[in-house]
Amino acid sequence: MTPEDLLKRLDAPLSLRKRIGYVTLALTGLAGSGLIGLLWATEPGLPPRTTVALAVLAAIGLCWAAFGGWAVTRRAPMFAQDRVVAGWLGLGAWLLFTAGALVITTLRHKLEPSLVVVVLGLGVLAIVNLRAARRARAALLRRKEQLNRLP
Amino acid sequence: MADELLVIRCQLGERDAFAELIRAWHPAIERYVGRMLTGPDDDVVQEVWLAVFKGLPRLRQPDRFAPWLFAIARRAVMNRLRDVYARPEPELVDDVPGADEAEAVVDRETVGGALAALPAREREVLLLFYLEDLPLDACAQICAVPVGTIKSRLNRARKLLRRELARKGYEA
Repeated sequence: MTPEDLLKRLDAPLSLRKRIGYVTLALTGLAGSGLIGLLWATEPGLPPRTTVALAVLAAIGLCWAAFGGWAVTRRAPMFAQDRVVAGWLGLGAWLLFTAGALVITTLRHKLEPSLVVVVLGLGVLAIVNLRAARRARAALLRRKEQLNRLP
Repeated sequence: MADELLVIRCQLGERDAFAELIRAWHPAIERYVGRMLTGPDDDVVQEVWLAVFKGLPRLRQPDRFAPWLFAIARRAVMNRLRDVYARPEPELVDDVPGADEAEAVVDRETVGGALAALPAREREVLLLFYLEDLPLDACAQICAVPVGTIKSRLNRARKLLRRELARKGYEA
């Protein structure tokens, strides 16, 4: 087997599009199930069948989130620049979730303090994750520069 | 240093660095797997590289890439040779490499030819130390044993190799 054959075989697991796809899938599943859960929690007097439907939809979202999370930790390697992209996607998903949560709660009910805590907690998590990814990438870039400058 | 730069570029996610890393190390991995399994095995080589790329983002010492790479290759080979590795190791002989007259005959060509007849542990240290030119501490890290054990295995391996070469008609 030549190195070129091997590269062809490794094309799928090393595909950037696939890795970012997994991250997007996980975040969409998480944000979707979060919003559905919020609808479920804030809507008074839901008939049992609607409750079951919302629970199933939230479970489907969580399953996609779990699959995406498993794929990016076990199946596809996340390199420094992928982590930065994933960090920005996480921040985007948080903004989407926050906007959805505000629309659902403030237009129909009073703003719940517990929801504010959850939203702020997720926001801090998204920012810390993005910051860590950017710092890790910057450290690697610095070392790369150092090595490039050596004779 | 060239390896460290290449590994860092891979950790950053530079796609052309993946190709360069494979071109630089694929022959060594293919040779190690082929000699340990006494025949080429593309599936094992692919398994090794998959594990390498999955583990690369978490590699903390890019300057220690070679021992880390061979440790992964060794795990893949061990999975195939589980029964062979499960056998108890013969009593270790405490000696240092270089003190044995058989070293005179140990060069790349002759080692390569007679390796297949040696037990897996001895074959492994000869491959890593002589064919891949890895230092003793790197061999110890790869095999997950102390340096002294590597020295003993090398000593025993050279004796077995000398016996094997003599059997094949070579003179020490």
